[in-house]
This record gives sequence, structure tokens and C-alpha cells, in this order.
Amino acid sequence: MTAEPIMTDLTVDYYESLGRGQLVVQECGDCGALIMYPRYRCTECFSSNLGWRQVEGGGILHSFTIMRLGAPSGYEADLPYAVGIVKLDEGPQLLGRLWPGEDGTWDDYVCDARVTFKSAPAADVASRPAPWFERAKS
Amino acid sequence: MTDVLDHELPFPEPGTAADAAFVGIGEIPSGKFPDRTFMGALVEVSARAILDAGLAPRDIDTVLLIPCLHGGRDQADLIFSRLVEELGLNGRAKSSMMIHSGGSTSDSATRVAAGLVASGQARNVLIAQADKWGSAPVTEMVDMLSGFGIPREWEVPSGVTFNAVGGLITQRYMHATGSTAEEMASVCVALRQWARLNPNAMFKDKDLTIERVLTSKMISDPVHALECPMLADGAVALVMTSATSARRNHDSWVRIAGSGGTVSHYSLGQERDLAVMNWPRAGREAYEQAGWGPEDVDLAQVYDSYAAVLAQGLEGLGLAAEGEAARQFAAGRFSPGGELPANTNGGLLSAGHTGVGGGTALLAEGVRQLLWRAEPERQVEGATRAVIGGTGGTYMDSQVMLLERVTR
Repeated sequence: MTAEPIMTDLTVDYYESLGRGQLVVQECGDCGALIMYPRYRCTECFSSNLGWRQVEGGGILHSFTIMRLGAPSGYEADLPYAVGIVKLDEGPQLLGRLWPGEDGTWDDYVCDARVTFKSAPAADVASRPAPWFERAKS
Repeated sequence: MTDVLDHELPFPEPGTAADAAFVGIGEIPSGKFPDRTFMGALVEVSARAILDAGLAPRDIDTVLLIPCLHGGRDQADLIFSRLVEELGLNGRAKSSMMIHSGGSTSDSATRVAAGLVASGQARNVLIAQADKWGSAPVTEMVDMLSGFGIPREWEVPSGVTFNAVGGLITQRYMHATGSTAEEMASVCVALRQWARLNPNAMFKDKDLTIERVLTSKMISDPVHALECPMLADGAVALVMTSATSARRNHDSWVRIAGSGGTVSHYSLGQERDLAVMNWPRAGREAYEQAGWGPEDVDLAQVYDSYAAVLAQGLEGLGLAAEGEAARQFAAGRFSPGGELPANTNGGLLSAGHTGVGGGTALLAEGVRQLLWRAEPERQVEGATRAVIGGTGGTYMDSQVMLLERVTR
């Protein structure tokens, strides 16, 4: 899936954090901007003095969908599965996978619901470096 | 919102040599035509458009190619000027090049063609598109659309497809506007009503009802199978020249009164508001340039790979009240006989999604309507102003072209 060369210098730390069960975003060492997705230069001030900051993992679900048919090759066995766009409390936003609820469905999810980061097992993240979120307990 | 319009935008005076004009269209039916060849289709629509423009092939000095998505080799053939040779323009054509911004390519190509005409760098421009998407292997195309245009470092690992992108946008749009599943389905039904009047449409022979849409399989919630665009073969070409040249051969032609655009994201996960995108900003720029507004529009041709994409486009361009477009579709406002005809060729959803060509077909239909040359049952009577809206990739941009009819 990720056999082609990608932006390894940007992905290595991010993927490694996901593998440890942590969600990080990029942080500009000069202007302090928090950046997602990771970039080569700060998108606010063009600085290349960029580091990482671990986020709490809480956020608002901007939108989501449940894939039921027509998965890309390699994802057929996952069906059904859900993806969503999360606006983190710290500001940046990103797309990731959504855990089903205890009943095995995504019926609890609605737009603007609170969600929290909850990592997939390290082995899964190693083959598919996706951030996973679950519905926040109210 | 910050005002992006405080700079002076020089725009050609109507009727001058710098004022670009659409003078020819060529199109063949969209659908599944496995026996139709790619180059055969491309040559056919090019020839039709050139003859329609009242020109001879040798009059074309610039060829702008809209890419095909069904395969890399055919695309490479286009990039490296194969069409020039097939049309016998070799030794005459000044340049042949490909313009590519996905679904908004027709807007981008039009803008480039108009710029070349306005600056005296082209006299007669052929814009040509053909695709064999309807005959291409479906799994291969799904994989292509799940891997290209979606950031492979950050989003591909989640397993996003284009129908998932449509699902994400539709979910947010319905949440933000309170539009119901029936209202969303009515958008598809209205487009089908138009397609039934278009002999070039993929689904010209098939009726559609809200019930059929809502009982079709769920693909990517809340989008049902019959709310997903069907990949189609199709081809369309346009010829542009200057107004002074148009006046020599034609009684009527179509000019660009204004254009606007905003590129808002690459990754869908970086779009700030999936229910709105960047149509309002793009529309404001275009209307200001044209000196006319949404209230003056006779028809709209706005990108419609999913109902929500069209609904938010119409709203952002001021053609429906905020959050009301789907409801107004349900009330018939955009249908045949409605107050504001929209996507009169049936759009991507019912005329067929011909890859990058879906937007080109919308544009060609807008030009055709303003030339008063649509089939009588779908011709918008007396149409003089049309809004064209395009968007590419994961709806990465909102592009607007305002067209108006000119008579000698």
C-alpha cells in the first residue's frame, strides 16, 4: 500500500508515535503554530524549525461515513468500516478511522459529536498507519 | 471573510480582439461503448467542433487537451501531441498541451484558452476531451481513485474511496442544512428528468424515482448506489476564438463575462467546512467581474458528482438560499419547467461521469444553451446568461465561469 516512496522524513516520527499509541501534530519552533498534516515548512511563517507535540486526542467529529461496499483493494475484509474528519481541540484537523460502538455499529456517531483518539494495536498501525478515534464517553 | 477583490482585475472589453468567444461544440453520446475507440472518439468530437465553428482544421493553431483517466498510455499520447497528428495539424499547429485540474479542468482550460486569445498568443483554440471510463475495469478505477488525489501518507491508510469522500460531504451537508434523504434523492431525480431530454445522456432511457434511489444499496452512508455517479465513456470538444473573429462567421456566440475561483485543499481532511467549500468566495469574484449577479442567471451548470456537491455549489453561488438547495430540488425549482434550470444535460449523475470530462460536458451544455442549440424540449427559452461551476480532486477547488450570449 505504501510501497512507493513517500515523504519519509515527515512520516517517520508521526508513524512511530502512532505505533506507540500516541497522536502527535507538528509544531513550529518559531511561531508556535500547530500544523496538520506535517509539512516541510511552517504554513504560517515558512520556518523549517519544526518539531512535534503530543495532543490530548479530544476533538469534534466534523463529518463521517460508513463504507459498506466498494473498498479499495486490501480493505475488503474490513467492510463495513467508518472514516471521519476530526477537528482536534488544539486546532489542527485530520482524517482517520472510527471505532464501532459496543453494539458493533456506528449508530452513536453524529456530526459535531465529541470523539477521542484511541489507537489501534501496534501491529495494525505498522501495516496501516491510520489514527483511530472513538465516540467520547459522555 | 477577507475581501479578495480589492485589486484591479483588467478584463477584456466585450467584442474586442481580446474578448474570447466560444464558437463551436462537438459531442458524442456518453455511456458504455466498449467498441468505440479512444482516439476515434477524440477525433470525431474535434472534427465536429471545428466544423461547427465554421473553421477548417488548418485554422486551429492551439490544441488544449483535457486528460483521460482510463489509462496512462492514452494520456501520454495526448501529452505528446498525438491528436495534432491525427487531425493533420502537424506542421501548422503552434502548440499542443494538456491542462489538468481534475474535474475543474474545463474551467481551467477555458481560462487558459481565453488568456492565450486575449494576449494574442492564439487565434483559434481547440479544447478536446475523451474518456473510456465506462469501459475500464471497475476495480482498477476504484483503486486509482482511492490512491490518487488522496494523501497517501496521511489518509490512504484509512481506506478512503471517492464514494467515501462523497459520503463525508453529504453527511456534513445534511447535518448542516437539515436536508432529508428524500430531498437529497430528489436532486438525482431532477437530473434524471433532464437526462431523459438529452440524446447524449447515459441514462436517457431510464426513469428514476426517489423510492428507487432510497431502496438502492447503501454504499457509503448516507450515499446510496443510485446517488453515486456511473463511470461512462464520453467525448466533447469546444472551439474558442476572439470576438472579432467570431463576428465574421457567426450570428451569435458565447463570451466569458467573469471568472472566479478558490483552491481550498488537497486533502479532504483539511477542508474547514465540508458543507460549504469555497463557492461563496469564488462566486463573489466572478459576479463582480461580470457586473451581474445570481438574480440575472438563466441557467446553471454546476459540478454534480454527488447531490450535495451540486447543492452546496448552487447555494454558494447565490442560486439557492443557504441550506435550501436540496429542498428546492424537491420542490422542482431546478427541474425541466422549473424556475432555474440546472444541469440541463443531466449532469454527471445522469448524463454519465466521463472522468475529467464530466465538467467539460456541463460547460459544453451551458454554451449550447446560450447558442439556443439544445434540443427543443430542453432548451431554456431565451437563455442569455449561464453560471458554470467546476471542482476537481476531492473538491479541492471551486471554479466559476460566467457566460453570456452575444449576438452580432
